[in-house]
Formats: sequence, structure tokens, C-alpha cells
Amino acid sequence: MSAPVATLPVSADAAASSSASTANKALIIGFVGLAVTALGLFVDDTHHVALSYLVGITYWTAIAIGMLMLVMIHHIVDAGWSTVIRRQFEHGLSAFKWLFILFLPLAATAFIGGGDTVWPWMNPAHVLHGHGTVETDILYQKKAAFLNVPMFVGATLLFFAIWTGLSARLRKASFAQDADGSVGWTGMNRQTAALGIPLGALSLSFAAIYWVKSLEYHWFSTMYGVWFFANCIRAALACGVFIMVWLTARGDYRGVLNKNHWHCIGTLGHAFVIFWAYVTFSQYFLIWNANVPEETFWYNLREVMHDGTPSQWKYVGLFILFGHFFIPFLYLLSFRRKSTAKGLFPISVWIVGVILVDLCYNILPALKDGNGDPLPFFSLNLLWVGASVVGVGGVCVWAYLRSLADSGAKLIPIRDPRIKESLTYHE
Amino acid sequence: MSAQPHGLIATFDSAAAIYHAAEQVRDAGYKRWDCITPCPIHGLDGAMGVRRSRVPSFSLAGGITGFCTGMTMIWWTGAVDYKLTVGGKPLFSPMFAFPISYELTILFTAFATIFGIFVLNRLPMHHHPVLKYDHIIRGLDDKFFVVIEAADPKFDGKATRALLEQAGGKNITELEA
Repeated sequence: MSAPVATLPVSADAAASSSASTANKALIIGFVGLAVTALGLFVDDTHHVALSYLVGITYWTAIAIGMLMLVMIHHIVDAGWSTVIRRQFEHGLSAFKWLFILFLPLAATAFIGGGDTVWPWMNPAHVLHGHGTVETDILYQKKAAFLNVPMFVGATLLFFAIWTGLSARLRKASFAQDADGSVGWTGMNRQTAALGIPLGALSLSFAAIYWVKSLEYHWFSTMYGVWFFANCIRAALACGVFIMVWLTARGDYRGVLNKNHWHCIGTLGHAFVIFWAYVTFSQYFLIWNANVPEETFWYNLREVMHDGTPSQWKYVGLFILFGHFFIPFLYLLSFRRKSTAKGLFPISVWIVGVILVDLCYNILPALKDGNGDPLPFFSLNLLWVGASVVGVGGVCVWAYLRSLADSGAKLIPIRDPRIKESLTYHE
Repeated sequence: MSAQPHGLIATFDSAAAIYHAAEQVRDAGYKRWDCITPCPIHGLDGAMGVRRSRVPSFSLAGGITGFCTGMTMIWWTGAVDYKLTVGGKPLFSPMFAFPISYELTILFTAFATIFGIFVLNRLPMHHHPVLKYDHIIRGLDDKFFVVIEAADPKFDGKATRALLEQAGGKNITELEA
């Protein structure tokens, strides 16, 4: 147990400077991505670029929320094995304040032009395909107390305040424990987690409802927040695998991780494959079975055009069914694959890719053509989605690396009461 | 009483001692032998050279059987045996057969896992020759035992005894079959 800790100070300086230079590269890549997205505003429809940017923001916010929930779950269940990995998630949490700043342009669209650049219900005069305007729509009127600009802006501010605040507390207590070793910090983190898990669950659910689900405000699904949560956790676990692979390759994690840590994160990832499938299937199945037009239209939009021919989104949906469930599920059944870096890395790359497609599937069909059909999946919008994901991602990765290099925190929480258990973890 | 004994049992005093003894027995190439310890010892399976359990194969087979049973049952009852349209739905759709198939997948997986454990461990086993050993009860308390069975192809009364002695085993005793 003493070996990895003893070698830490020696490698820390070299690692810190290497992290800092990688961080700057990530930031530059991020700016390029954001610049390309901004360029899109001049060459393409503003709606298309804005919704593509929403995909990028939601994607990285989901990853950060997943990390936040995983850290809090770690504390509330007093987990042992994940102590050596938790610190990396804590570094990842530093992205929230930048995500907030990056979200501001989207919130600003509520006050620009008609207000319906992203969310149609923000403009009372927005014309609905086939029937009147938002203002005269009974389904909007009944939801107006919830779906209005002050509520949206206030709620979004509150979401980011909750996420940033919880992150700051978790990071402070964890980093301070490195210095003084007081068990009190673990107690503080446990309290933060006890309060933070319900707050996090509510805020991530409402964020999914306001930001994504309200794009088609006629629709409703009580599973939506849970669906988003499942994606958050899956994305965060996949990013956890990337960080573990990277830090192992760079040498930081040498002697820290053993096979059982890989097995644990792989098993947890496998469990959440099933959880995601359970929730997503339940949402589809209940709507399919009840067959109520207010609900089925959301899936119909993603399956057939107005003339009854299948649209591209039908195949995207099938791709998600197989790519997001069957492939990772069958792949991770194997002990060998879920307990090694070599086995987990490719499936994690696959999973973060499919999560992006899943978010596209939920967001982009809100862009309609003159017939009320969603714009096809394969279009110029994918370029803006890609640019936004790279742009927001560059900033998030920069925030993580900067925290890793500059926060003064050790690579692992060396004075956590469970650190020895984690370093010698055995299934 | 048959002349052939069940095997040899040796006593060890600590987890470390039995761990290293297990490595030596493993390296000597024995296959039919076991360690009896009062508590789980981390890494002992590795020191013994035990491969991963084959129970997961049973579980997987059970899961696949359960899923297919669910789908077939719903299809046969709804679309073949007693055709009844409910709620304007097709006579068969994997959609509504899924919850049942999912449940049966889990149920059959659980049964197959239990069954696999019983079969692979040859349970139920009401008696084991090791239980005839006077001091075996200490294996629940503070002693560690290595048992090498006479059925092992490498078993040889003298050589095996020598190996156990060399590994630090005490009170090496022949077990009655």
C-alpha cells in the first residue's frame, strides 16, 4: 500500500506540467469547435445550429452530472473500491461553472427575436404545424405555469447553482482531507451526498424536461428524467474508464489499480446498460400499449414521414436499440472483457458514441420541414453537433486537466479512511 | 475397509503458511486437492491455481432458455392456441411479450445458477471423508488444512507426504475413505 503513495511526490511535478500543457491543447481544440459552431450561425439556419449546440451542451452536462451522482453515491453507500477513482470524478466536476457559461447563449435565445430559436413554446406567436399558434394551444395554456421564460431561466440558474454548489462542497472536503487527514471531511461529504442525491435527482430530471423534453411540449413521459439519469451515469462511467486507461498509460495509476477495480467499473457499467434498457423500453412500451395520440406522436415523428414512408430516424431508433443495449449487454457478459482495460476501452468508446446518437434522437427531430416532418438525421446538422461536442468537450476536458494539475490535490485521496481498502481491493 | 485412503491432510497455523503451501502443491501439479480455512483468504484461489467457475455458463444457458420460453409461450397462447385481439394490438408482438420474457429470463437464470452450483459441487453431499478427521473442527476456528486426495493421478503416499512436510504442514494424517 505504501509503494504507490511514496512514489507520488516524485512523479507529481512532471505529471502536473504534462497535464497543464495537455489542458491548453484541449482548450484550443474547444475554442476551434465553438468557433466552427459560431460560424454555422452565418452559413446555416440559426435554429439548426442552436439545437445542435443544445446537443453538445446536454451531452457534456450529462457526463458531469453522472460524475456528480457517482461521487455522491460513493459517499452515501460508504463505498470502498471506488476511492482511488473518485478523485478523478471530483476533478471532472470543475466543469460545471464553464458549462453554465456555455449554456448562457442558449438561455439568451429566449430574449432574442421571437424567443423560439430553440424552444418553440417561448414564442406565443410560434405557428404550430396544422393548428394555430402556441398562445391559442390548449395544451400550452394548461402547461403555461411551468413552461414560461422566467421559470425556465430561474430553473436553469437553480440547476447550475445546485450542481456547482454540491461540486464545490464535495471537492473542498475531499481536497482538504489530503492535507489534514481529518475524518470529519468524510462525514461532511456524506452529509452533502445525503442532501445532494435528492437535489441532484430532481435537478437532472427537470433539466431534461426543460431543456430536451419541452422541445415537443405536447408530449409527456414520466420516465424521461430516469432515462436521462441512466445516460448520465453510463457516460460518466465510460469517461471514468478513459481516465483510468489514460492515467495507467501515463504511469500515474501504476500500482494503484488492480484487476478488481476494472471489474467493478465494468460490472457497474453493465448494470447500467440494463437499467437504461429497462427505462427506455418501459417508456416506449407504455406509450405503445396505451396508444394515446398525445404520446404516440413523439415516436411517430421518429419513425414515419407525413406520407407514411419510413424516415431516417426509424433506423436511428433501431440503431439505438441494438447499439445502446444489445451490443454492450452481450459484450459485457464476458468476465474477461469487463475486467480488463483492453476489454473495457473499446466498449466505452462505443457507449459514449451511442449516447450522443441517443441525445440527437431526442433533440434534433424538433427541427421540422414544411410538412412537419423532422429533418433527416444525416444532414449538415451533424457537423454542427460534432463541432459543439468538440467545442464544449474541449472546455470540459480543459477544466478537468486544469483541476488535475493545479488544484494541489493528490492523484488519489491518500488520507481517505477507505484508501487502504481501495488500494488492496479484492472482490 | 478399502486399503486405499481418501487422501492426506496437513495442518497449517496461519493464512500465510497455507497460502505458500498452496502455491507449492499447485506447482507440483496436483489437481484433486483442496484448502480448508476458517475464513476467506484473499488470493488463495490464485495460489491454488483455481480457474474461474463454470457456473456462468449454466446461468447464460438458463437465461437464453427463459427468454425463448417467454417469447414462445406468449406467441403460442396468443397467436396460435387461442387467438384473441386485445386493445387493437396484433396477435403477437415482441413488444408485449417482452416483460414476460424478461421475467422468465431472470427466473430461469436464477434457477440455472443454483442448479449449476449444485451440479458442479456435487451437492447435496451428506458426508465427506474429511469430516472423519478428529481435528477438522479447528478448521472453523483457527487452523488451516490442505487435503490432497488419493484419487489425484500424481498422488503417491510417500512423495505427497514429503511435499506437504516440505511445505510446512504439520500432523500429516491419512484420511479414511
